[in-house]
Amino acid sequence: MSEKNMEEKVEQATNSKNISLPMSRVRLIMKSSPDVSCINQDALFLTTKATELFVQHLALSSFKNGSGKETNTLSYSDLANAAEETETFQFLTDILPKKILARDYLKSLEEMEKDDDKL
Amino acid sequence: MASSSGNDDDLTIPRAAINKMIKETLPNVRVANDARELVVNCCTEFIHLVSSEANEICNKSEKKTISPEHVINALESLGFGSYIAEVKDVLQECKTVALKRRKASSRLENLGIPEEELLRQQQELFAKARQQQAELAQQEWLQMQQAAQQAQLAAASASSAQQAGSSQDEDEEDDM
Repeated sequence: MSEKNMEEKVEQATNSKNISLPMSRVRLIMKSSPDVSCINQDALFLTTKATELFVQHLALSSFKNGSGKETNTLSYSDLANAAEETETFQFLTDILPKKILARDYLKSLEEMEKDDDKL
Repeated sequence: MASSSGNDDDLTIPRAAINKMIKETLPNVRVANDARELVVNCCTEFIHLVSSEANEICNKSEKKTISPEHVINALESLGFGSYIAEVKDVLQECKTVALKRRKASSRLENLGIPEEELLRQQQELFAKARQQQAELAQQEWLQMQQAAQQAQLAAASASSAQQAGSSQDEDEEDDM
């Protein structure tokens, strides 16, 4: 009985040990951060696994809070909304600005220029 | 996929890996292409975030290498504390599996006995075992023989006793 449990545990370990993300790539990205020098192998593993969890977390909460639930789709705006509304995802707002219609943007540009002119 | 190599900022996790993870997390959900691209970039951003934070913690601790502890503290301070438990578990499982493997191989290596010697010892043990087996078999054979002899004797005396008994009767009859 205990032997079977052990086997299951090892299987579980290898299954969850199979990280989907390549550690070598993660290491490269980490090193491209300024000042980062040496990374312990286990620390790299932890980061890779955490990134995996992050992807799952981001996808899930964007979908749950998004408008795509009825249509069963996950769209760009779902992600952008999640980034704005969830505190932990706010570091993403820089790289995923909410898309706005071009004419709205042009309008706001015009208004800014008008303000400048007034000055 | 990063076709322009050489530029550090273009480093991203391979798109296929992300697609697979999204599929596993949200099965049967259609995901827009630009959303996928976004997730890829978010990954990179996340890695930068965690590594910078871990690096800061590492510098404060005056160590040169970022350790798992630093990463865990970074996750905590960035608000990803909920990941820590699972991440730690997986690391522990990996370590246990790796440790077992190392122990198993080192136990054999650390005997300090060269292979030929081990082989010789093995042959010796086999020879010994064969001898013991042979002796045991012989003993059993002897025992069987003895038992058979005894059985024969017993049978013989039983029948002779019968005969004796019956001849006695005859004698008695004669005497009378």
